Amino acid sequence: MSIDWDEPETSTAMSADDSVPSEHIAKKKLGWAFWLCIGWLVTIVLLAVFAPVLPIKDPRKNFLGSGAAGPSSPPSWAHPFGTDEDALDMFSRTIWGARVSLTVGFVAIALGMVIGGGLGMIAGFVRGWFDKIISFIFLALLSFPALILAILLTALLNRSLTVIAVVLGILGIAPVGRLARAATMQFAEREFVMASRTIGATNFRILTRELLPNVLIPMSALALLGMAIAIVAEGALAFLGLSVEQSITWGNLIGRGASGRRTLEDTPWAAFAPIGVLFLTVLSLNLAGDKLRDFFDVKELSL
Amino acid sequence: MGYWLQKVGLGVLLLFSVSVLTFGAMNLLGDPLFNIVGPTAIQYDELESFASDGSITPQDQQTLDVLRSAREEYNLDKPLVTRYRLWVSDFVTGDFGVQFSEDGEPPVWNLIKERMPRTVSLLILAQLMAAVIAIPWAVLAASRAQSPFDRSSTVISFGLLALPSFALGIILKYWFSIKFDIFPQTYTAGDSAKSHLWQLILPALTIALPAAAVYQRLLRTDLITTLQDDFILMARSKGMSKRRVLFGHALRPSMFSFITVFGINTGALIGGTLVIERVFRIPGLGTAIVEAILREDFPVVLAIVILISAAFVVINLLVDIMYSIIDPRVRR
Amino acid sequence: MSDSAEDTVAPPLLEVTDYRVGFRTERGLAKAVDGISFTLEQGKTLGIVGESGSGKSVLNRSIMGLVASSRQVEQGSVKYKGQEIVNNDRQNFWGKDMSMIFQDPMTSLNPVMRIGKQITEPIRKHLGLDKKAAIERAVELLTSVGIPEPAKRIDQYPHELSGGMRQRVMIAIALSAEPDFLVADEPTTALDVTVQKYILDLLNDLQAERHMAMTLITHDLGVARGRTDDIMVMYGGRVMEYAPTDTLFSEMRHPYTEALMSSIPRLSYPKHTRLEPIPGTPPDIVSPPPGCRFAPRCKYAQPECIESSPELSSWSNHRWACFFPVGTDQGNAALERNEAAGVTAVGLPVRKREAV
Repeated sequence: MSIDWDEPETSTAMSADDSVPSEHIAKKKLGWAFWLCIGWLVTIVLLAVFAPVLPIKDPRKNFLGSGAAGPSSPPSWAHPFGTDEDALDMFSRTIWGARVSLTVGFVAIALGMVIGGGLGMIAGFVRGWFDKIISFIFLALLSFPALILAILLTALLNRSLTVIAVVLGILGIAPVGRLARAATMQFAEREFVMASRTIGATNFRILTRELLPNVLIPMSALALLGMAIAIVAEGALAFLGLSVEQSITWGNLIGRGASGRRTLEDTPWAAFAPIGVLFLTVLSLNLAGDKLRDFFDVKELSL
Repeated sequence: MGYWLQKVGLGVLLLFSVSVLTFGAMNLLGDPLFNIVGPTAIQYDELESFASDGSITPQDQQTLDVLRSAREEYNLDKPLVTRYRLWVSDFVTGDFGVQFSEDGEPPVWNLIKERMPRTVSLLILAQLMAAVIAIPWAVLAASRAQSPFDRSSTVISFGLLALPSFALGIILKYWFSIKFDIFPQTYTAGDSAKSHLWQLILPALTIALPAAAVYQRLLRTDLITTLQDDFILMARSKGMSKRRVLFGHALRPSMFSFITVFGINTGALIGGTLVIERVFRIPGLGTAIVEAILREDFPVVLAIVILISAAFVVINLLVDIMYSIIDPRVRR
Repeated sequence: MSDSAEDTVAPPLLEVTDYRVGFRTERGLAKAVDGISFTLEQGKTLGIVGESGSGKSVLNRSIMGLVASSRQVEQGSVKYKGQEIVNNDRQNFWGKDMSMIFQDPMTSLNPVMRIGKQITEPIRKHLGLDKKAAIERAVELLTSVGIPEPAKRIDQYPHELSGGMRQRVMIAIALSAEPDFLVADEPTTALDVTVQKYILDLLNDLQAERHMAMTLITHDLGVARGRTDDIMVMYGGRVMEYAPTDTLFSEMRHPYTEALMSSIPRLSYPKHTRLEPIPGTPPDIVSPPPGCRFAPRCKYAQPECIESSPELSSWSNHRWACFFPVGTDQGNAALERNEAAGVTAVGLPVRKREAV
């Protein structure tokens, strides 16, 4: 290959495929992918919130009879996601499903962060026997395979929206708590905390003013990822038939869509529509959480 | 030595906590009698009061007898701690109680004995497949870092991880069972091990693919780091081929994170396995527990939960131990 | 560049002509090796001396073909035993024809592979021996590099050995398939001073036994003395001076070589003599300034030195690239001018040198 050796520095000496690998450049921007994900998330949230007033079909109405689409009809203008075997409109059902699924996901992770994060921070800060107890509780909670714990609790309690959300929230306490505790311990040893003490700040002030903002950073990246997990967990529970009773969630839509012998074969869209929406939502949460984590350069972030 | 003892001690403590938590949940959340015999429990107090003032009907008397014997059997009149102690001593000797919802009330153990092998073989098959997929994939991606192959495999991994396992199962089922009819749609308990395995392939794949994505990402990162090390260059300069250097030299030091996660994941995959059983209608522990919940057969639920949690704790313990064996630098 | 009669029969092992190696970067082409020529005869040792960034490691690794980057660009000619190898895949040479020892034995040995396996691997591949025979050879090799209890070492891991022993192991590995050419890339830099001598002696002995050609890369002129036949001094990717070793030490001509000499401590210096480190920083190899690469740091620098770049003089076996060489009339005059002015043509302050 002939290169003009003494050519002054220009970028023609560098061929197109050989730019410096992106791993070497610190990515300090959030990028278009991040905002695209946020866009989808905002869209789906708005759709869910305003579902009752949107010009979409009634999710519980059977479109039978002459002139209507009838059961198991493929996607069309009238029914963008088709109808399922009971002639229910999948498009509106999917949107209504978002209401429960998203709510559960949000409440669950919020609970996990408040309780888990709070406990973890305090444990990491005061150490001593309190820390030992809390750490052990976290460890014990983590000793259950998550789904089993969820199944157990939903089996014993009634399945209302609150209960399901709380149960999933409990699942989130330990992972979030562990992270909060580790982050707090890390920061508590830094000098700015010591400096705060020397000017007479109380423990409470230190916790809220100094440590909390710092710990919040890795936690917020975790929040998005955690929400994705909570939504999937609800989906799994709903698929098993163990989620909120009498309501439409993505999980039980998928469950219905795949239940009967011939259902999946005849009416694939009944399952694939909610699958698609669920996938996009979880993907957006994962991607956004990942980008956020890169942006803040959080090193350890294991669930 | 003391290190391992400590770990085992922690494991035992965790098992204890798991049993306490589960037992406590079953007995404190709602009426324990209800949890055992179901809806008839509601009538207990009422029937007792009828019996004491002699206004009880023979039919109700029968019900009351059942309730009373259940209370006796399950020691519900004794304090909680005693109940726990009795229950634990039964449990560890293998007496898991009986299945209330089945006719003839067969022991729970029968159910578990029948269902467990299927779940276990599914899990093992899934992990094996995941490893077999992940390792070559990671090696290929690492040796061609930043290439189109590598980039697209990152995208695929990400996508796989965003798809919930049951959704993936449905998709695979749709394509390979329905459209292309390669695998049967529902599970039939065939006798030959071969047909048994064949039917498990699709569900195992469903579990394996997302796991493989995680393993592959981890392994790839570690491999890329290792490939920058001097000893890799040294190995090449000895004249060893690229393939030999990749698999013989670079792979082993890069495996640690992968192996740790692989081990821990075995426990985590248990949950996923249960859901997948439902998708493919495999009669394993997963479907057992869901059916039991819907039929409110709580001895079954209790037994399976404890069993699985115990397995989880034990697996994590084993992973810890294995880790210290594998790395010769950690061995003391 | 050897001139002894008995070697003129065999062709030179390595013939390097106007060899250039560059790396494409965002800012342009980084010219790590910028036109180097030399010859290496069978059984001879070439010392390559220079500071970090001079290109000495890149030169040798590129000659061997070990640089795996897709950004590398090679030009010029390198003939190994008469065969042109530039821009070719050189994997077939590694191990049996050419071999390399690396600087840090701790990171150059596979930490999770037993020593024995690391030695027998190339033996079995290149010499085709079975496992048992290979282990015997490995034990022989370990003995020849002076490792005590070799049979025991075979089963050990690198972290169980001391630094000096690890380096010996590395030498054993490099020599296991009997190469004709060995590159020793700063083999003693990571070792204790006390161990250095032993390793260097070992290398010389082995080389003599096997009639191997060797390039000894180092930043320390003292290491090269007495152990090499010729020395090539590199700076900024170019050759500054090239001479048989004794000649270099007795009649150095290039100011950079002189500067390197004065930064070596010597017993003969009076107590508290200041060592003179070379002021300034290495040149930018992407867009080097016109003129001599060393000019910005040279005591002798004159205006000509920044305008044009001196070529390597081509008479005799002692060559240098300088307009005002040390020890010549022009050189001395240039130095005096600078000392009088207190500064060189490039603006480098110059103090009157102390008498040694």
